[in-house]
Amino acid sequence: MQTFRHRHAAAAVALMVASLLTGCAAPAPEAPPPGDAPYRPVASIREVMNSVIDPSIDIVWNSVATIIDDGRMTDRAPATDEDWAEVRRHALIVSEAANLLLMPSRPVAPPGTGALAPGIELEPEEIRALIDKNRDGWNFYVQQLQDAMAPALAAIEAKDSQALFDIGEKIDTTCENCHQVFWFPNAVAPPAR
Amino acid sequence: MMKTKIIVVLLAAGALWSVRSAQAHHPFAAEYDVNKPLTLTGTLARMEWVNPHGWIYMDVKQPDGTVRQWTVETSAPGQMSRRGLKKNDFVDGMPLVIKGYQSRKDPTLANGRTLVLADGRSFYIGAVGGPNDGADR
Repeated sequence: MQTFRHRHAAAAVALMVASLLTGCAAPAPEAPPPGDAPYRPVASIREVMNSVIDPSIDIVWNSVATIIDDGRMTDRAPATDEDWAEVRRHALIVSEAANLLLMPSRPVAPPGTGALAPGIELEPEEIRALIDKNRDGWNFYVQQLQDAMAPALAAIEAKDSQALFDIGEKIDTTCENCHQVFWFPNAVAPPAR
Repeated sequence: MMKTKIIVVLLAAGALWSVRSAQAHHPFAAEYDVNKPLTLTGTLARMEWVNPHGWIYMDVKQPDGTVRQWTVETSAPGQMSRRGLKKNDFVDGMPLVIKGYQSRKDPTLANGRTLVLADGRSFYIGAVGGPNDGADR
């Protein structure tokens, strides 16, 4: 039994030494190439916009409003802790979904689909080319959305409905700026007839 | 149970809103027809002072005496406020005149450009990207 233990210990020491020697000689493991990133996009950018970002930002925008109807003016704002928590959930979804847009391998639109407004919106392959040609610009606009969401999250944290209302326009402006560059670059204001 | 009902109602409202929001995220030319300018004269039925675009619902009397309700998209409330138009200027039932452009698809939807109140004050209510018709000057 003792002999077996000695042999076992000797083998372990030999392994450690071998590991150290090879560890010194071998190069550090390489980072996986971008194509081998561990995430796997399932939806296209269009679908992330329509299914994740739009529905959630609508809940953020519509959480604060004034409605004039039935002879009275009604201010709408989250009232309870639960209401604020619900709005915060959707603000977080938008903020984090921006990261989904940054994944370089995400397709622009589902395969086989074209522009939603042909002649006004670019075709998916044209949008893809614009993004690939101007990846820094794409990242910049997406991060602008996250930057615009930060004060919205702060307003929600502070339960400040006026601040949340005021930042709503800025969030929309960041959306429109990106759409203008990558989706509708040729949609100039038409002349009035 | 009550909490679930409230959340369901909120989600349903959100779903309705998102339809209009999707319209609002298209450029002017995708949603509205520059060849269909219009002038709507009627009364305010409802105003939604909300981001990213306000919505005016107005009742317009037709030549045959019937009333048709129009929905008019405006710019963001912040933009209208900076031009002097406040939410307190809107009163249910007040007379309005709105100039704008009709939707390509929806016969009772319009993009508002100018709004004239009963006291004669006129405001630009168009969103960015509309026609170069001078309404914003």
